[in-house]
Amino acid sequence: MRQEEGVWHRLDVVARSISPFFVTLLLVLLGLVPLRIADLSPIVPALALIGVFFWSVHRPDLMPIWAVFLIGLLQDLLTGSVIGPGIVGLLIAHALVVWQRRFFLAASFAVIWCAFMLVAAAALAVTWLLNCIALLAYVDPASLFFQYLVTMAFYPCLAWAFLRGQRLFQR
Amino acid sequence: MNKPAGSEIRVASPLKAWASRFALLLLVGAAFGLMLIGRTNTFIVEETRTAVTDMVTPILDAVSQPVDTFSGIIDQAESFTRLSTENQALKEQNARLLQWQAVAHRLEAENAALRSLSNMVPDPAMTYVTARVVGDPGGAFVRTVLINAGARNGVEKGQAAVTGDGLAGRIAEVGQRSARVLLLTDINSRVPVVVGAARDRAVLAGDNTNAPELLYLGPTAKVQVGDRVTTSGHGGVFPPGLPIGVVSGVSEKGIRVKPFVDWAHMEVLRIVDYEMTGILDFEAQVGAARAAAAAGTEQ
Repeated sequence: MRQEEGVWHRLDVVARSISPFFVTLLLVLLGLVPLRIADLSPIVPALALIGVFFWSVHRPDLMPIWAVFLIGLLQDLLTGSVIGPGIVGLLIAHALVVWQRRFFLAASFAVIWCAFMLVAAAALAVTWLLNCIALLAYVDPASLFFQYLVTMAFYPCLAWAFLRGQRLFQR
Repeated sequence: MNKPAGSEIRVASPLKAWASRFALLLLVGAAFGLMLIGRTNTFIVEETRTAVTDMVTPILDAVSQPVDTFSGIIDQAESFTRLSTENQALKEQNARLLQWQAVAHRLEAENAALRSLSNMVPDPAMTYVTARVVGDPGGAFVRTVLINAGARNGVEKGQAAVTGDGLAGRIAEVGQRSARVLLLTDINSRVPVVVGAARDRAVLAGDNTNAPELLYLGPTAKVQVGDRVTTSGHGGVFPPGLPIGVVSGVSEKGIRVKPFVDWAHMEVLRIVDYEMTGILDFEAQVGAARAAAAAGTEQ
C-alpha cells in the first residue's frame, strides 16, 4: 500500500513539474485551430509567448531554457514560418524575465502585466526583424502590432486561468 | 532536504549564472544555425516540418470539427435574418446565370467544333482531392493553412488548391496525411496570371496583406479596376483559366488584386491534380538524368 502511494506521489510530482511545458505546447496547438472569424487570422494572439512568460515569472524551475527552445522550435515548425526567429523571440522573453528575477518576485499582477508589455514588445520586435532578414523582404509590421495588442488583452485571461490551475494543483 | 551551507551557495550561484548564460548563448546560436540551415538545406527542414505536422494533424482535425460546427450554426442563424432579401437576390442571379448557361453551351459546342477543325492538343484532364482545412497559423509572417489530406490521398507538391470561388493557393509541403497550402497572399507566393480581356501576362505576388500585387506587367498593358485576373498556366504548375480575383486598386505604388476566395469561410479546399509536365516533373527528370549519368560513370 505504501509502495503504491509512493508511485502515485511520484507520478503526481512528475505531472506537476511537466505541466507548464505541456500546457504551453497545447497553447501552440490551440493557436493553429482555424477560428473562421473574418480578419482574425492575421492578428491571433501569440499564445506561446504568454505561456513562456507566465511560467518564467511564476515557476522558472518548471520552465527551463531548453523547454523554451523546444516550444519555439515546435511553434516555428508548425506555423510554417522561417525556423529560428520565433525561437529567438521566446528565448529573449525568457532571458529578460530571468535577468530581472528579483523584480518579479515582489511584483503585483498589474506590474507583471505591464512588464509583459515590455517583454512581449522586445520579443516580437526581434522576431519581426529576424523574419525580415530571413525572408529578405520588408514584412508589414501593422498586423504584428495588432497581434501585439491582442496578446496584451489575452494575457490577463490566460494568467488568471493558469493561476487558478496552479492553486488547484497545490491543494 | 537540508539547506545548503552558505559557502556552497556562494560557489554555486556564480556557477549557475555562468551555466544559464552559456545555455542562453548556446540556444540562441542554435536558433541562428537552424535559420541558416533553413535557407541552405530546405530538404531537412521540410522533412522535419512535415513529420511534425503529420503528428499533430489528427489532433487539429478533431479540435477543428466542433469549431466548424459552431461557426456553421452562427452562419445559419445569420442567414435566417436575411432570408427574403437573399432569396430575391438569388432569383435574379439565377435568371442571369441561366442566360450565361445557354451562352456557355453554345460556346462549348463551337469550341469543340473549332478544336476538331484545327487538331488542337486537348488539355489534360483534371481530377480533384477534397480536404478540410484543419490548421491556420495566422500571425504576421505567413499565410498558410494545413489540410487533412496528404501523399496517401494523392496530394502532391505544386498542385493548385481552389475553393468554389477561385484559386486559394498551392501545395507547398506534403506529409503522409497532411499538407501545407501556401496561400496567394503569402509573401513567398508567386503565380503567373493573365489580366483582363486583353489577357496581359503578369505575376501575382503576395506580401502577407489581403490584396496581393501584380508584378512584371508589360509596358503596353492597360489595367483597370475591376479587371478579372485568372491563372495563365505558364510554368505548367496551375491549369490555365482558374479564377483568382479582380483588380481592386491601380496606383503609383502598384496594382492590387482582391482574391475571390472568402478567407474567413475557407473550410474545405479542393486540390486540383492537373496532370501536366511542369517544373516539378522537370525536377524529377533532371534527377533521373543525373541518376542515369551516375550509373553510366559507375559502369
